[in-house]
Formats: sequence, structure tokens, C-alpha cells
Amino acid sequence: MQTNLEKSQTKKYLLLSILGTGFIMLTANFAGQEVTNLTTNLLYVPVPGALVVLSIMIAARFSVKGEHGRAWIFFVGVAVSWFIAEQIWLVYDLVYQIDPFPSLADFFYLAGYPFLFLFSIYYLKPLQRAISKKTLTYVSLTAVTLLIPSVYMALDQNSQIGDFELALALSYPIVDAIVLIPALIGVILFFRGEVNFLWSLICVAIILNVVADTGFLITSMNGSYYMGHPIDMLFLWAYILFSFGVYSHIQIFKKHRPNIKSQSLDDLR
Amino acid sequence: MFDATNGEISKALVTLTIEKTLLNMGKPVLDEVARRLFTNYKCFIPDCHEHPEYLKSVLKELYGNCYGNIVESIKKSLDEFATKKSIEHFLMVISE
Repeated sequence: MQTNLEKSQTKKYLLLSILGTGFIMLTANFAGQEVTNLTTNLLYVPVPGALVVLSIMIAARFSVKGEHGRAWIFFVGVAVSWFIAEQIWLVYDLVYQIDPFPSLADFFYLAGYPFLFLFSIYYLKPLQRAISKKTLTYVSLTAVTLLIPSVYMALDQNSQIGDFELALALSYPIVDAIVLIPALIGVILFFRGEVNFLWSLICVAIILNVVADTGFLITSMNGSYYMGHPIDMLFLWAYILFSFGVYSHIQIFKKHRPNIKSQSLDDLR
Repeated sequence: MFDATNGEISKALVTLTIEKTLLNMGKPVLDEVARRLFTNYKCFIPDCHEHPEYLKSVLKELYGNCYGNIVESIKKSLDEFATKKSIEHFLMVISE
């Protein structure tokens, strides 16, 4: 069980990680474009890497059995897909020095979304009864409303980019809107006091990732995006929130020595 | 030959149902619930038959107010035995 001290320490480390990443990126931005580019690209190795390690740990703890087990297997899919995507982006940007959009990285970014959606479904399943039809309707409407400006922006660039690029640019807001639905539900449950903060961290991370994707789309379309742009900070923060969300579950469901269950069955006989 | 009383049968049914429901979620969930029951109340899963409030409180600790979904699954599985007095009591307390 996570004690109150462990919980407050987890929150302290979370805050430190967020502030630390922000500080590194801001400092790099003052040091010039080349340093910003290198620093940001390199940050995308340990940050998503930590998420892969943590998600494999929690999936191994649950194995494939049970609803939670399935949820964490899907989450490994998300972490691995996005980690591969980040590394491909890094190679394109740092080694080949070519624009990574569109590239194989997009395939892996997009491949993570179905896993993320399935994960959210299984993750929220124990909380199913607390989700009313009204909440689901409002949340879906919000997601669709947020989707419209992003799609409009992508279509507005029709003349400047090719069909494939346009299809890719359109895919992100669509998949974002889909994963936003369960994420918003998770956050609403937290504000209603029905789940604790650490349960909702993963949902907050999904929302942050959607915000970052939208910001990336806007800045890419108006040509103001560069590697190390403050938008990248949001992506990194989303990875950090995901990692702490997973870590809190590892803490809650960590293995303990005595097998209390078997003792109890012996008592019954 | 093993002669079980009605109370023992009810206890076994409740225990198996709780364990099966939690196992459906994942073995670590069952382990954690069992561990918290022991740490907080010095009791085991079969004791929840007499003290459903312990199970309810542990589930609430883990899932907040959303523990109702798990309770619902337990209720569904025990529904056909709900006429037994002790199971009826268990279901009543856990659903409150």
C-alpha cells in the first residue's frame, strides 16, 4: 500500500521532474538554436524510455490475465510505439538533418493511438458505473467541438501540402479527439472526488498530449515550430505524467512477501 | 465425511465470489485487497462474510467512490443465493 509519505514523495518527484524538464528546455532556448535542438532531441531518449521500462514493469506484474492486465499490455503498446517514433524522429532530425514530417515516425505515433484508446477503455472499466450517459454525451460533444478547428486548420493548408501529408495532418486531430473522450471522463471523475489524483494522472497526460498535438499542428502550419519550441515541453510533460501515473500503480500493486490469501483459505478448511 | 453447515457454505460462496471478481481484474488486485484487509483489520477474505464493511472500505481506498462496479459484479454472482440470510446480509451491507 502506498503510505501518505510515499504519496507526497511521488507528488514531490513529479513536480521536480516537471520543473526540471522545463528548466532544461528554457535554458537550452537561451543558449541558441543548435543547443535547443540537441537538448530537446536528447531529452526524448530518457523520458519516453523511462515510460517504456515502467509500463513493461506494470504489465509484467499483472501479466495478461484480468482486465487490468489487458489494459497494461495495451499501454506497453503505446509506450513502445511512441518511443520508436521519437527515436526515428531523432535520427531524421539529428543524424540525417531532414524534416521528420512525414516519415516512418508518424506511422509509429499513429500506431500508439488505438492502443491508447483500448488502454483507456480497460483502465476506466472498474469506474464504469460512475460514468453517466450525460457525462459521456457532454464529453463526446466537447471532443468533437475541439476537433473542428484543428481539422479546419489542416484543410486550410490544402494548397501548400500534398495529399499524403494532408491525410497525416488530419489523422492526428481525429485520433486525438477519440482518445480525449475517455481522458476527459477520467479527469471529471477526479474532480467529482471519485478517484484519487494518481489514478487520474494518466488521463491528465492524455489531455496534455492532445493539447501538445494541437499546438504542434498550429505551429507547424504557421511555420513557427522548431525543435525545442515550448510545445515540446508539453509533449515531455505528458510523458512524465504518464510515467508517474504508471509508477503510482506499480507502488499500489507491488509484490509483498507473505501470502495472506493462502493462509485465509487454510483457516477456512 | 465433511459436513458443512449452511453458514460455512455461505462463507465459502462469498469468499470464492470475492476472489473470482478480484481475479478477473488481475491477481495483483486480489493480493492487494487481501493485504489491506489484513493490515487494516487483521482479517482475511473469508472474514468479509461477517464483516462486509471491511471489504467495502478497502475497495473504497483503492478505487475511491467508484468501487460500486466491483460490488455490482459480486452482487450479480451471488444473486441466485441472495435468499440465504447471511448472504442477504452481506449483500445489503456491501451495497449500502
